[in-house]
Amino acid sequence: MAADVHNKAWESQNGSLVPGARLRHERSDSPTPGLVEGTEPGAGQESAMFVHARSFEDLTADSDGQAEVNSGKESDLGQVKDEEGRVVQHIETEDQQTGTSQGGARAKEEDVTSEEWRAHKKHVFVLSEAGKPIYTRYGTEEALSSTMGVMMALVSFVEAEKNIIRSIQGDGYRVVFLRKSPLVLVGVSRTSQSDRELTRELLYVYYQIVSLLTLTQLNHVFQHKQNYDLRRLLAGSEHLTDNLLRLLDRDPGLLLSAVTCLPLASSARDVVSSALQAAKTKSLVFSILMAGSRLVTLVRKKDQSLHHMDLHLLFNLVGSSSSFREGEGWTPICLPKFNTAGFFHAHISYLQSASDLCLILVSTDREDFFNLSECKHRIVERLRRRSAWQALQEALRCPSYPVSQVAIPELRHFVYKSKSSGLYTSPELPVPYQTDEEQERLMVLYQYLHSCLHHPTRPLCSIYRCGETENLFAWVTSGFELYLCFSPLGTKSVAVSAVNKLLKWIRKEEERLFILNPLTY
Amino acid sequence: MTAMRVDAKVVMLGKESVGKTSLVERYVHRRFLVGPYQNTIGAAFVAKQIHVGDKVVTLGIWDTAGSERYEAMSRIYYRGARAAIVCYDLTDSSSFQRAKFWVKELQNCEEHCKIYLCGTKSDLAEADRSIRQVDYHDVQDFADEIGAQHFETSSKTGNNVDELFQKVAEDFSSSAFELMPEGTGVDLGQKKDSYIYSCCHN
Repeated sequence: MAADVHNKAWESQNGSLVPGARLRHERSDSPTPGLVEGTEPGAGQESAMFVHARSFEDLTADSDGQAEVNSGKESDLGQVKDEEGRVVQHIETEDQQTGTSQGGARAKEEDVTSEEWRAHKKHVFVLSEAGKPIYTRYGTEEALSSTMGVMMALVSFVEAEKNIIRSIQGDGYRVVFLRKSPLVLVGVSRTSQSDRELTRELLYVYYQIVSLLTLTQLNHVFQHKQNYDLRRLLAGSEHLTDNLLRLLDRDPGLLLSAVTCLPLASSARDVVSSALQAAKTKSLVFSILMAGSRLVTLVRKKDQSLHHMDLHLLFNLVGSSSSFREGEGWTPICLPKFNTAGFFHAHISYLQSASDLCLILVSTDREDFFNLSECKHRIVERLRRRSAWQALQEALRCPSYPVSQVAIPELRHFVYKSKSSGLYTSPELPVPYQTDEEQERLMVLYQYLHSCLHHPTRPLCSIYRCGETENLFAWVTSGFELYLCFSPLGTKSVAVSAVNKLLKWIRKEEERLFILNPLTY
Repeated sequence: MTAMRVDAKVVMLGKESVGKTSLVERYVHRRFLVGPYQNTIGAAFVAKQIHVGDKVVTLGIWDTAGSERYEAMSRIYYRGARAAIVCYDLTDSSSFQRAKFWVKELQNCEEHCKIYLCGTKSDLAEADRSIRQVDYHDVQDFADEIGAQHFETSSKTGNNVDELFQKVAEDFSSSAFELMPEGTGVDLGQKKDSYIYSCCHN
């Protein structure tokens, strides 16, 4: 497996986002750019657009907060796992028993007793604390009510002893539990992902639900009626969660807590940014222009930053629905990392009916639709008047770039994240990884590297891994995270020298690949 | 400014998946999209100009989501609306119960809003009479009782869709003058503009 490992934890020198001014002049001269946060290729010039997230420590932090017993009671948890090892069997048999009675699922839906249903790599279930099904990734919730009842029983059983159930392993499966009152989320996976990775994905699903309802409403509903069927309120949103889970399997952005940009000449991007900046109203908090799942630019209210997770939820909302193509969308949305208590109101519209350019204007005032609609018209007008429109159209034609541009023959693919800007860049997937399965396999490899670099107790700063089908190299500094995929014929020294070449290339291209001048209103 | 200059606010209401979006899609874009059902998120707004006699009326159509999740928000969409197209699915009797709920809601909160009951998917009901669950005459009686107009439409074939919106626009343009306060001494063109402003920005 890991052929060579440098086991050295790094520590950030300064927790702040703003790079030291004295480092500024070294920006492009530094022989090994990016060793210091804020000077790495892709680092923004101004204060950060996003709430700073140091990858998934940040995401799992608050779920850990709820479960105070984390490391202190290691032995306790071990016990729980052992105990539950037996219980896994229990679930399996339970499944089989209940199975036969529920054959009549809708044709579109899978039969939860079938082998195919079992064979899915990753299941996700959401249930209420009363054990009522809320969501399942495959099959119908109705057919799974007894299974979910058992899941809740497990959770309560362990909690009765003042413990928290985290995961069960056995029979090639990993069952991960996430308790986010008033919901319980359960992931069942046959992949090599770690508990932390799976928990992170469950957390995303949780926030997806909160983004539709707010936590306040969620709590309110269950306080009034403990066995409320939440599917009533979530009706029609299942495809959002489905799509989110697909993204989690494929999109490195969700793994890295980062967003990727549409490659665009910085002059054009600046024009677009200032067009968004100029069209403001009092209630406007964020103006976001996106192309597919790529960010074109983001303008925000002074002192407010968007969390990348909230941005991914917005992208997911837009990406999984054709409903915004029919007119100007106006929808309440909670950005859970910003505030779980209340709704923002988002004006969502495509700049042109057949275009991929989607504008999201996030406002605090639900009465402000017409003002925002006018903002949109002003933005479109302004873009048309300037050359930026043409540049945007051209950029849309090639939203990605081939890895061959970097001119490192052994390099197949890479993902580079600039930590201070929260942005990442990655070339299009080359031939061997273009099928869904291969793409997901590569993502699983990256996830593995990621979990090594971000191990809670023994984080690595770099890792080189030789495999039969590819060699992988990952490196994290206080400035960036880099994941590379080489042909299996490459060597470690090739990989190391490739990193330097790649960083130089990214530095050269950073104006096109990143947003260096984020604006505020 | 180029932004919306809307004469009449029209709101689409009804249970989810009855076909509110399809109806708007048919009317505005003259098309019917086949494919998996996609629920509306929040609400979608489209403006459409329509000729009434020699005048042009701009309808600002709010296509709301049928999901219960957005019910609390629905008031902002129908407030100040001049017309509400309350949709129900001819092949689903529960959707008519839901339509009655919306009618009550409108009667309580928006007395100036004209109601248009619209039975959707009439092509399905015509192709196979046995799947019709909502009787034409029952709805007609209900419509008479509440003083509403009644249409049965098919967004797939386009049947009766234009007629529905034409009627909405005609009713608006005739009532717009009735409602106008008299003797203010402002010329009509100007009056119209100021009225429009208050109608869609209140």
